[in-house]
Amino acid sequence: MDKFRLKFIEEATDNLNDLEDALLIIENDTENKELVERIFRAMHSLKGGGAMFGFTQLSEFTHNLENLYDLVREGKKKITRRLLDVTLASVDHMKTLISEENLETPEIKTIHTDLSLQIRKLIEDDSVQTKEITKTESTAKSNNKLKTYYIYFEPNQDIFGDGTNPLFLVDELHTLGNCRVFAHLNKVPDIDKMDVTRCYTYWEILLATDEDVNAITDVFIFVEDQCKLEIHNIADYDITVNADIINKIAVLAQEKTDVGLNEIQRIVKSKPEAKDSLSDLEKVLAKSGPVPSVKENVISSIRVSSTKLDHLMNLVSELVTTQARLSLFAEESSNPELVAIAENVQKLSRQLRDNAFDIVLVPIETMLTRFQRLVRDLSKELNKNVVFTAEGADTELDKTIIETLTDPLMHILRNCLDHGIENPETRKRLNKPEQGKIVLKAFHSGANVHIQIHDDGAGIDPEKIRNKAIQKGIINKDTVLNKKETLDLVFLPGFSTAENVTDVSGRGVGMDVVKRKLVEIRGEVELDSEINIGTTLTIKLPLTLSIIDGLLVKIAHNHYIMPLSAVNKIYATEHSKVINKYNNLIILDGNQLPFYYLREEFGLPEGEHEIEQVILVSYEEKQIGLVVDEVVGEYQAVLKSLGKLYKNQEIISGATILGDGTVALVMDTNKIINQFSQGKLNI
Amino acid sequence: MNNETLTNIKSYLSFHLGEEEFATHVSKVLNILEMTKITEVPKAPDYMKGVINLRGTVLPVVDTRIKFGMTPTVYTPNTCIVVMEVEMDGDIVQVGALVDSVQAVLEIEDSQIQPPPSIGSKYKSDFIYGMAKIDERFIMLLDMVKVFSTDEIISLKEKTDEGEHKLEKDKKVKKEK
Repeated sequence: MDKFRLKFIEEATDNLNDLEDALLIIENDTENKELVERIFRAMHSLKGGGAMFGFTQLSEFTHNLENLYDLVREGKKKITRRLLDVTLASVDHMKTLISEENLETPEIKTIHTDLSLQIRKLIEDDSVQTKEITKTESTAKSNNKLKTYYIYFEPNQDIFGDGTNPLFLVDELHTLGNCRVFAHLNKVPDIDKMDVTRCYTYWEILLATDEDVNAITDVFIFVEDQCKLEIHNIADYDITVNADIINKIAVLAQEKTDVGLNEIQRIVKSKPEAKDSLSDLEKVLAKSGPVPSVKENVISSIRVSSTKLDHLMNLVSELVTTQARLSLFAEESSNPELVAIAENVQKLSRQLRDNAFDIVLVPIETMLTRFQRLVRDLSKELNKNVVFTAEGADTELDKTIIETLTDPLMHILRNCLDHGIENPETRKRLNKPEQGKIVLKAFHSGANVHIQIHDDGAGIDPEKIRNKAIQKGIINKDTVLNKKETLDLVFLPGFSTAENVTDVSGRGVGMDVVKRKLVEIRGEVELDSEINIGTTLTIKLPLTLSIIDGLLVKIAHNHYIMPLSAVNKIYATEHSKVINKYNNLIILDGNQLPFYYLREEFGLPEGEHEIEQVILVSYEEKQIGLVVDEVVGEYQAVLKSLGKLYKNQEIISGATILGDGTVALVMDTNKIINQFSQGKLNI
Repeated sequence: MNNETLTNIKSYLSFHLGEEEFATHVSKVLNILEMTKITEVPKAPDYMKGVINLRGTVLPVVDTRIKFGMTPTVYTPNTCIVVMEVEMDGDIVQVGALVDSVQAVLEIEDSQIQPPPSIGSKYKSDFIYGMAKIDERFIMLLDMVKVFSTDEIISLKEKTDEGEHKLEKDKKVKKEK
């Protein structure tokens, strides 16, 4: 819930700022209808949002304010200086209410009551220029009229049978005045014994209202004989605004089954200061001095348009490139001071880069609502019982990645629902719980983020896949494939195993599109499945798309970058060892490792370096050596695309511009090994 | 500049590939660069020479000679990279074309442009939309978008019957018009 509240606070702050803006403009343009609408709209969202996210005080306060502007809107009231003063003071107060919604301190309480009163007066008074003297009197009066009632409401368990929703009754109480509701759930039985047609909840309610008891009984008039109802007057003032009392009761309500009338009365009586605070308030009002200053609510987050962020990222990229040039120049200059400056700039730009990256990261949970919704709607449509849960939803990814990821993930989930999870009858027969499970798990792993989607459904039968592939002419009858390779066939274009083409999936444009989309954002996808146990799809994604930490190496005249995340170790080795090779194996640290001599693989002539470098990279779970001429060092590479003309160039994932202005190519080590081994790698 | 004004411009940039002179409409030309270090991209088709740094962006460079089925470009002081903007699958992409030398910007009136040569010509008309005769020289006007939007090496020379059929068909179409 907390994150929703945070979101609301963010939004409310925006709304309040907007409101303030509008109020300031309208001061010089009092006849402007559009501005009144804008003010009204901002207030309305504040009220609605406040009520929804439990900022009751804010909501009620804004409600009064809204009433006032309703009159303005209808032309019954003119915009005056005083009206604006009160409104602006109210806006300030509302800012406080967002952070301190419970009216914790007496100062805030005073302001709250004072402003509420002024607003009410503005509404009631026909002439705005009413004399100030009446103020104190009316305070006392309007407050004295309020009485607090204790209501105990326990509907009979079969109340739903009559189509009555007890919650509506509770809501109705809210319209009478300030209301504090304590719902008791202790009579709700265990889930397996629960009968959804029965109502197990009962309520204790504190209601502060200027209406009399009859108005309250009227609320319950239609259910009188279907519930236990008690109404008692417990105080002659509004105790619902007294946070101490309310908190005490709330604690009791949680500990005990029900608090009971006696207990509440005891609490109310033991708090004479509740009464005192009222007289304090009168004193302050009598003074009618300047409003005590309240700490300004510091803005904790701002919203920035994504184009600005993109621009920032571009600038950071440029800076990183320029910094690389500076470092290079400094190194050559042999001026120690310049070297020191260059190092400092490097450190700063690295920090700036990390910071800027952090800004564009978005938590995965921003996509989840859509997924929840999809699973909910689709499982109903397919008559399946499925629950969707997510773990690690706070894992963050670059916003472009999130944007590209949503569609493929939706497709995968659709597949899980349609092909994965069986219908309840089948599940029962297989001794599985009737409710299917889809779990989305996101977690960090090195410089990557993994997203796993697991379902406990039927799994994928490799035999079925194989037959289908043969039938479609994708593989030969005698092709030998291990399980993983067989499963990977589903990512090939034109492959769909669904026996019935349904509305949901199975049009044969499934997984290959998913895979292509993921490759676009440098993602990798892996599929694992056990028949009748379930399917797990793992997506490996880079944290960000624009800058990578790389290892700068040299082959012939050209510089290349290897992603540092893939590099494990670097060994120097003699040229003869990689040339007089025997089945491409090299012994390093006593281990036999396969390697590729990149000069040869890239179609370049054999080099004349005596010593060459073997860079050990991870490929799947294996270690494979890639032999280059020289290792230059670590390098922050700003990734640039090679463009459409190189769209078939898989082994190079992009390019970057080096400090001296030349271009270095960024290798995709996985693709390189994959392509050079052509699937023949058996280690 | 909108399309209308662009097509109203009668300027063409002419360049040499070997002995032949070609020209392309200036609206597609962004820049002419001197030869610079080209970073080769391994495992790419021969005509894809590599990439260069064009003011912070990575620009692919095509050896136009190889693309047109000639011998690879031999770098001379006259060798230039003509940066062009072409449309590929709906996206605008920039590409550098290696040419042996850039000649001039010529004003060619529509009336000076003759239909591509048909019989007896050594070049396929798909990529040539016209010929212009300037000072006793024949200049072939290239449709660069078509040149760069194919993955294959274009053999401008006709060698199959297919090509001739195609030409005849083209002629027919023109006649019908």
